[in-house]
Amino acid sequence: MIPLVHYLACAIALYVIGMYCLASKRNMIRLVIGVEILMNAAHLTFIAFSAYRTAGYIDPLGHAIVIMSIVFAGCVTAVALTIVTYAYRHYGTLDVRKLKRLRW
Amino acid sequence: MFTEPLNVLLIFTVTMPIIGWVAYRKAYRKILGVYAALGLSVTAYFLYELYREVAEKGVVLIVGQLPFNPPLGACLEIDMLSVFMAFICTMIGLFAAVYSIKYMERDTGLTEYYTLLLGMIAGMMGVAFAGDFFTLFVFWELMCLTSYALVAFRKQRWEPIEAGFKYLIMSAAGSATILLAMSFLYGMTGTVNFASLAVSLNNATPDGWLHVTLTLIVVGFGIKAAIVPFHTWLPDAHPAAPSPISAVLSGVMIETGVYALCRVLFVAFLPAQFHWGMIIAVLSVVTMTVGNLMALLQTDIKRLLAYSSIAQIGYILVGIAAGTQSGLTGTTFHIFNHALMKGLAFLCAGAFIFRAKTRNLDELSGIGRKMPISTVTFSIAVFALAGMPGLNGFMSKFVLFTAAIPAGMAWLAIAGVLNSAFSVAYYLRLILVIIRPQPAGKVADAKEAPITMLMPMCLMAAFIVLIGVWPEPIVAFAQRAASCLID
Amino acid sequence: MTIDWVRVGGLTVAVLVVLIFSMLVVSYEFPSFDHVEPVEIETAEFLWSYRLIDLIAQAFVLFAAAACCVAVLRAEEEKK
Repeated sequence: MIPLVHYLACAIALYVIGMYCLASKRNMIRLVIGVEILMNAAHLTFIAFSAYRTAGYIDPLGHAIVIMSIVFAGCVTAVALTIVTYAYRHYGTLDVRKLKRLRW
Repeated sequence: MFTEPLNVLLIFTVTMPIIGWVAYRKAYRKILGVYAALGLSVTAYFLYELYREVAEKGVVLIVGQLPFNPPLGACLEIDMLSVFMAFICTMIGLFAAVYSIKYMERDTGLTEYYTLLLGMIAGMMGVAFAGDFFTLFVFWELMCLTSYALVAFRKQRWEPIEAGFKYLIMSAAGSATILLAMSFLYGMTGTVNFASLAVSLNNATPDGWLHVTLTLIVVGFGIKAAIVPFHTWLPDAHPAAPSPISAVLSGVMIETGVYALCRVLFVAFLPAQFHWGMIIAVLSVVTMTVGNLMALLQTDIKRLLAYSSIAQIGYILVGIAAGTQSGLTGTTFHIFNHALMKGLAFLCAGAFIFRAKTRNLDELSGIGRKMPISTVTFSIAVFALAGMPGLNGFMSKFVLFTAAIPAGMAWLAIAGVLNSAFSVAYYLRLILVIIRPQPAGKVADAKEAPITMLMPMCLMAAFIVLIGVWPEPIVAFAQRAASCLID
Repeated sequence: MTIDWVRVGGLTVAVLVVLIFSMLVVSYEFPSFDHVEPVEIETAEFLWSYRLIDLIAQAFVLFAAAACCVAVLRAEEEKK
């Protein structure tokens, strides 16, 4: 069995990648994908813990939470993409750095 | 299913599109607002029944099917604090729904607007009632999703879309952080139920992973509760939303974030072991100061009120940092008062914007002479926010700052009082601009606000004055609510 | 009024075929899942018995997400 720490390290790496994506990418669709990556970090942690709780069995609670949480990530992506559609119509570009008319 | 108030509200949410179809066929769109207000009134009645039940039983526990109980099962655990928060959000939602009947009459898509408004109130009520961390997360997502679309509601202009996108990205990152913290708690204890988490973690020695989880919790809920430095979405999102939605967002939603933060902190991370009081105290002072400083620079009336919301969240955090019974009573009491005061301030600002079609303070100068009742209610709200004695803001700030002293944080109380005095500057500037004798150009043909907009405003102003003069019932309610966190 | 005989003929044949096939389907049992091992349903049992409140709330979240998308993508009426 792969030790649990490796799964946790992957999840933390995914979280850091997601935050890096939110902080440094310019394309709005990449920002939406970054949010997806963030939520997937948490999903990986849940599944890893549910496998390691008791040897030989899986804990159903972790899987149940992930099944429901994937749906929420999809909903957020759907609403985000509709807003990106309108942002493209107003600004003519998908560059989030051009959305700086709101200051102070 | 769930409790009666939540059931009723969700049924009204789901049947709103049917009423919308009928309303658009008959070309009579006022019926939508009336239906929403009716739904919220029926919810308020059932909430009163639930309050009586919780008052005699202490805690009401709702599980899905009876043999399948915690620690693995989802549950709703309703104690006095939950009823308190649900009462606040139903009340402010009802006022916003009645106000929207006239305010939103020129907008399209009213069916979706009222559906999402009722959905947001239902989400907030579910967050208040949740007894399991994942149940809280599910209703949290309901609240967040509806608020994204409500901020971006007037999509034909660029400002709500830009504000809505930035708000969505930051808030979704916050939700993902909360989920990651939940997964760490699940990994440590095998359950996500609040009562089981309390039993498992109360005897734990704080080690590295628990501190990481605590940080993630504060960051995740802090994004939604507008704690500095995670507050940057708020000054863009609250002005861009329609005014009744700004009132609900500013008055109730950021406080639901504070409530969820309190709930998780006091359940899983005992203050005696983790000493997070100092961190929250530092965040509180930073939040107050940044909110007040930035509010001084604003020329947009709604943006100024949004920054003032950030400062008030700083005051609310003082009570949490103190961590004592009286500190938490101050917190819950100030949550109630802030919902009333800030809700009324945004509704009055909406009345000014409705008549003058502008949000700029210089262009709104002198509008008070044309809209006397709105100006009186706005003045009551702003004086209460500034903490004038005799109105309710003073009472709750007094309880908060005097509670910080015995908890060993006298510097926090001094910072709070200084910030309160400092904030009077921009609150007074608001009043003085509104009541200038020479009206500006755009204001010349402004009339008084319509009666359906004036009714909730006058009612809220009456409550503010009443609670300022006679605060005992609400303080007793807040005290019982706060004691649920300490036990 | 001209009667299109092709259409009438096709309609009659289609109705007859539907009737014959439905009688055949009803009289012969379909060997449903006879040639496969049974799949585990513990996850579904767990979800519906322990996490009922979350599942029903999730249904409302999906409804709200659909309402959000309709609200943002709605058509504006033309201003005269």
